[in-house]
Amino acid sequence: MNDMTRVEQGIRIDVRNLEFFYGKTQALKGITVPLYDRKVTAFIGPSGCGKSTLLRVLNRIYELYPNQTAKGEVIFDGENILNGKVDLNLLRARVGMVFQKPTPFPMTIYDNIAFGIKLYERMPKSELDGRVEDALMRAALWSEVKDKLSDSGLSLSGGQQQRLCIARTVATKPEVILLDEPCSALDPISTAKIEELIDELSNDYTIVIVTHNMQQASRASDYTAFMFLGELIEFGATEQIFTAPTNKRTEDYITGRFG
Amino acid sequence: MVDLALSEEFSAVSSREAALKRFGRSDMRFRLMTLGAALLVVAIFAGLMVSLLRGAWLALHTFGWSFLTTTVWNPVTGKFGAFAAIYGTLISSALAMLLAVPLGVGIAIFLTELCPRALKRPVGIAIELLAGVPSIIYGIWGLFVFAPYFQQHVEPWIIDAFAGIPYLQDLFAGPPYGIGTFTAALILAIMILPFISAVTRDVFETVPPMQKEAAYGVGCTTWEVMWRIVLPFSRAGVVGGSMLALGRALGETMAVTFVIGNAHRINPSLLAPGTTISATIANEFTEALGDTYVSSLVALGLILFGITFIVLAAAQLMLKSLDRRSGGKAP
Repeated sequence: MNDMTRVEQGIRIDVRNLEFFYGKTQALKGITVPLYDRKVTAFIGPSGCGKSTLLRVLNRIYELYPNQTAKGEVIFDGENILNGKVDLNLLRARVGMVFQKPTPFPMTIYDNIAFGIKLYERMPKSELDGRVEDALMRAALWSEVKDKLSDSGLSLSGGQQQRLCIARTVATKPEVILLDEPCSALDPISTAKIEELIDELSNDYTIVIVTHNMQQASRASDYTAFMFLGELIEFGATEQIFTAPTNKRTEDYITGRFG
Repeated sequence: MVDLALSEEFSAVSSREAALKRFGRSDMRFRLMTLGAALLVVAIFAGLMVSLLRGAWLALHTFGWSFLTTTVWNPVTGKFGAFAAIYGTLISSALAMLLAVPLGVGIAIFLTELCPRALKRPVGIAIELLAGVPSIIYGIWGLFVFAPYFQQHVEPWIIDAFAGIPYLQDLFAGPPYGIGTFTAALILAIMILPFISAVTRDVFETVPPMQKEAAYGVGCTTWEVMWRIVLPFSRAGVVGGSMLALGRALGETMAVTFVIGNAHRINPSLLAPGTTISATIANEFTEALGDTYVSSLVALGLILFGITFIVLAAAQLMLKSLDRRSGGKAP
């Protein structure tokens, strides 16, 4: 497949024959999956099936640790990002990530957002203020924090912290956003807010979300991939996966018979 | 049958009561023991203060505030002033910190973020071993190996290099003695360096990996991650470790006594011999004749105690203001 056909088919990131190893243990086996532009793709599957591992390959954050290796192709803008020549800082700025637990930086709420912007762009204070406000608005956090922007990011509640982290990721204007179980530590109200946010963001960004929550996957995503023991079992439009799965194991998993 | 069941129940209840009583007694004993241990610390501290104050009373009464501000230290005429010793203590420790803190933190950053795995353990162990070397060894090494080398090869070069530059030429003016305030500061820096890097490395490792991943995840470089995330996150530990190191530098006796030159004067040149409070006490206590002399030495000890206290308090204040600036306390 060449780049033109990828663009025509609306594929933003094309994962092909991806293998991943923790030392000698193989965690991903020949994964091939397209991630469509400005769509939400959800990865579901039981713990240890390799969902998060796949996510960690997409911005090569796994390279912070020794003995972790990936083989295969992850084509992003016509370039295999597993190639050694890729600029990691730039890649991570273009492919933003939100983690399972909120990870606000040890600085003020304002700086948490401004920090990432200032890494790559120079702008006058007034414009920066606008960007921070915009990011907080998009993360549905602005009304809650606009009067305490100089408080520590750590002083917020768990749900607010997570939305702060999403705002921080959005603020740097990435092209792809990776969400690794973003709601697993949150109450239902915060979860609902974040799902709304994901829906909103998918107008502008390609979103990949890993989740344990079936309802969340069915509510929030356009495409769903079911993974099991390091293999991709089934990939398709979310509606199809949840209403008419073609694979028995997918059906068993989404109906709660195992996993 | 009914009777039997009842009496069994009764005995179960009564044995539970007895057990609870027993727990209560042992809890109480434990509480008293720990309370005693805690009170012992307070008692020792109070005893120390009382004996220092009593010992220093004569000197403080005789010389008053001028004890703090005069540099004269003349056992023959019985005139004593602590200023030279205070000055030497503060200058040598400050210089040592200036050299050791950036280096030590740098070593810790290298060890936690950049070091190849194969080197991590050997370097880590070497640092811990260095931290355990007794100060007398640093003193001997400083006097017999370091100072002569420093005198012949480094000091002449420093003096030449700074000659002609205002202020700096006075700070590094000759002749090269080999021993002096600067040498003492260097030895102190070498002594506290492993201590600072060991403590700092340990605090750096307590930063949750997720925090670092998140920072790398927005595209930070290693420098930005260390400077903006890891250091703020662990600043309490870094400042605390540095303050402990400063405490050690201020009170360090043996190594400093060997290499500082023990001269009771204030010389603008850092290369000139000087003295510190603890070096003075160690050097002169055995030969101190006369009540005023002994009392003056005890008063020096009291001042050192005061300085250490002020340093610790300053560290606390500094941490508080850092917290305020970043808008809250790191967990």
